Amino acid sequence: MKLLRLVNLSIKRKLMLITMLTSIAALVLFSASFLLYDLISFRHSLSADLATQAEIIGYNSAAAMTFKDEAAATVTLTALKAKEDITAAALYGPDGKIFASYVRANNKSSLPSNPPPIDGIHFKKGYLEVFHAVSLDGEPVGTLFVQSDMSQWSSRAKRYATLLVIFMLISGLLALAIASKLQGLISRPILRLEDTMRMVSVKRNYEVRALKFYDDEIGKLIDGFNAMLAEIQQRDTALQSANVELRSRTQELESEISQRKQAQEELLNAKRIAEDASRAKSAFLANMSHELRTPLNAIIGYSEMIEEEIQDTGHFQNVQDVKKIQSAGRHLLALINDVLDLSKIEAGKMGLHLESFDLAQMIQELASAFQPTIAKNFNTLELDLSGDLGLMRADVTKVRQILFNLLSNACKFTNHGAISMRIARTEMNHRQWIEFGVRDTGIGISEEQQGKLFNEFAQADVSIARKYGGTGLGLAISHRFAKLMGGNISVDSDLGKGSVFTLLLPAEVNAEPSEPVKPTVHENVAVLESKPQADTILVIDDDPAVRDLMSRFLTKSGFHVVAAADGEQGLKLAKRLRPRVITLDVVMPGIDGWGVLRRLKADSELAGIPVIMVTIVDNAVAALNLGASSYLVKPVDRDVLTDLIQRHRGNHISANSQDVPVSVSVSSEEEPSCT
Amino acid sequence: MRAIRFIAACLITVSLTIPMWAQSASSVAPSEYLIKAGFTYNFAKLMQWPDRAFPQPDSPIVIGILGADPFGNTLREVLTGKNVNGRTFVVKHLKLGAELKDCNILFVTASETAHLDEIFRVVRGLPILTIGESPNFARRGGIINFVLEDDKVHFEVNVEAAKQADITISSRLLTLARIIPQNVADGGKP
Repeated sequence: MKLLRLVNLSIKRKLMLITMLTSIAALVLFSASFLLYDLISFRHSLSADLATQAEIIGYNSAAAMTFKDEAAATVTLTALKAKEDITAAALYGPDGKIFASYVRANNKSSLPSNPPPIDGIHFKKGYLEVFHAVSLDGEPVGTLFVQSDMSQWSSRAKRYATLLVIFMLISGLLALAIASKLQGLISRPILRLEDTMRMVSVKRNYEVRALKFYDDEIGKLIDGFNAMLAEIQQRDTALQSANVELRSRTQELESEISQRKQAQEELLNAKRIAEDASRAKSAFLANMSHELRTPLNAIIGYSEMIEEEIQDTGHFQNVQDVKKIQSAGRHLLALINDVLDLSKIEAGKMGLHLESFDLAQMIQELASAFQPTIAKNFNTLELDLSGDLGLMRADVTKVRQILFNLLSNACKFTNHGAISMRIARTEMNHRQWIEFGVRDTGIGISEEQQGKLFNEFAQADVSIARKYGGTGLGLAISHRFAKLMGGNISVDSDLGKGSVFTLLLPAEVNAEPSEPVKPTVHENVAVLESKPQADTILVIDDDPAVRDLMSRFLTKSGFHVVAAADGEQGLKLAKRLRPRVITLDVVMPGIDGWGVLRRLKADSELAGIPVIMVTIVDNAVAALNLGASSYLVKPVDRDVLTDLIQRHRGNHISANSQDVPVSVSVSSEEEPSCT
Repeated sequence: MRAIRFIAACLITVSLTIPMWAQSASSVAPSEYLIKAGFTYNFAKLMQWPDRAFPQPDSPIVIGILGADPFGNTLREVLTGKNVNGRTFVVKHLKLGAELKDCNILFVTASETAHLDEIFRVVRGLPILTIGESPNFARRGGIINFVLEDDKVHFEVNVEAAKQADITISSRLLTLARIIPQNVADGGKP
């Protein structure tokens, strides 16, 4: 416990303590040994003195002893009174009896009764005693006894002890003074170092340096400490700058993140706006197409009727005018259809209605339909149907439309030339393909123009539009259709010599899910009934103009027409009248065309009646899937509709059930329009 | 060393010793002449004779007895086997006359008191220690004289006579002796 307290003393005190203890220990040892030596040697000299004295007294008393002179012997002994330390003395005769004696006044010790047989000096009970044989001329005459209390020795010892204590006190004080002065040599640098260390650790100030005093081990320690401090300072500075940099980087990052967030929000906003705009555009297009087709229907339909009436009355000079109205209307209609097709493709809403058909037959029909157009520019058409083409599975309407476009273009840009169409079945990448090549000897297309040929609204030259007319959409739509069916269209042309367009389609086009289009609701309900006849045709359409037109030209063609203004009415009439054929509009208020179709097909009595969808909404696939017999897009070509009704009427009679529907989709144009 | 001690002893002795009229403490227990024989022997120890007193370094000390012999065999018995400085003792009976010169110690018995002057005349100047037991023996020219007091044997010493005989007496002996004054001794001179 005490040692522990000593161990925890400050280095200053420790140094002083060590110095003091060392010097005091050395002092004590030295003094003690000196004292001991001195006292021992003093005792030696004392005993030697006593022995000498004893010898002298013995010598002096020898004669007295010899001549038995007691008085003289006593006088001799009594002379010892002058010696303070001698307490007793005695002379023994040869017979051992005391002959003469001397005892100091205050002495309490008794004289020995018999002297020992031999001489000697010895200490006994704090006294120094000497026995000395007395002889005269070599002949023993007795023994002398002298006793000393060594008062000289003890007083000397006391004096020495006192001196030593004083000496040690003075030396100790001197040592203390020196130690307290000199300990600074060691403790001062250490204390300063400790101060510096505390300053560093408390204030975190790495710029201070410990002061170096001397070039000893502590100096080296301080050097090392300073070096470490410098290192720490350097690291601290580096760390701080790194921190600052990190902070600024973090700030940069944060600002960047917030900027990006803002940008993201703006983007999201823009996307929302864009989506809204897109929806608005789609809705607008749908509305517009409806709104545009409806008047066009009326224009084309009434102009045809007027033409017939004019021919009936014989005013032929007016026929050309009316035909021009029809032509203009049809061109406009084609334009609208193209735009609608393109917007549908872009919206990804263009579906495929896949069916197997005889390719050769389809080509023949198309070629014969094209004969008038080819003849117009004094061209010839050559068909090359190599080998057995067999059946093809694709969306026949779209294939037909593509070929129609390609042939129209060939006719349009060729005069007095030859147009050839070559169809062949090939195999590529383990797949069957049908290759359609349409070649002409027309004006050709430059390489520069070939690059943007399939872009929307891109005709080879702006001047072409003026000279040849057309929307520039035909090739773009054809290209898209080909892609939709997994195929492609390419062009190879020499300017001035002619062009070759090659359509490549898979023989078996992969099915793609088609989605029905949700029709919008319209008001207007009206029922129009014709006179009951044998071949009753039920016309269901909410547009009174359509009902009127259809009723008039179907009546002319010899049918009995009953018209209904909405779905409910149509269904009732169908049940009551059991018509031969039903024409059905899609977009109607209340139950739309799809709903009516579904209910007709669900009713076992009515399911057998052929339904021809006559609508502005171009979704033949959905219609045919729901069980419609045919699909026509408004404005309806009278002849096509009449022809279709004629055919379905026969089917109904022969089968009287829902057979495999004859899917004949006819383009709304009678003549190829400019595309 | 020894000399220093000796001087110191002398000094102490001189300083401490008061001229003593020492009285023999011990009683004359055996007989008077036994003591006198012992004293005579011890006197020999404390005397120093000149070299010429002895013919040879180891010549014995010759004790001559003049007069009727009171010792009997006592003196011889005491001296048997004793020696002083390598010298043994020889005891002779002498007669008055020239043969008195042939000794080193001349013991003059009480019977010869009448012939003292003659005796001193014969030995004058010779290194012979004369010992007597007659009253005034020392005053008349003898060197040592036994005196009987209270049954104790004491002795007187005539220092002048000893000087004349060229015999040195140890101071230790002198401290125990009664010294006879000079003038009395001179008076004895012829």
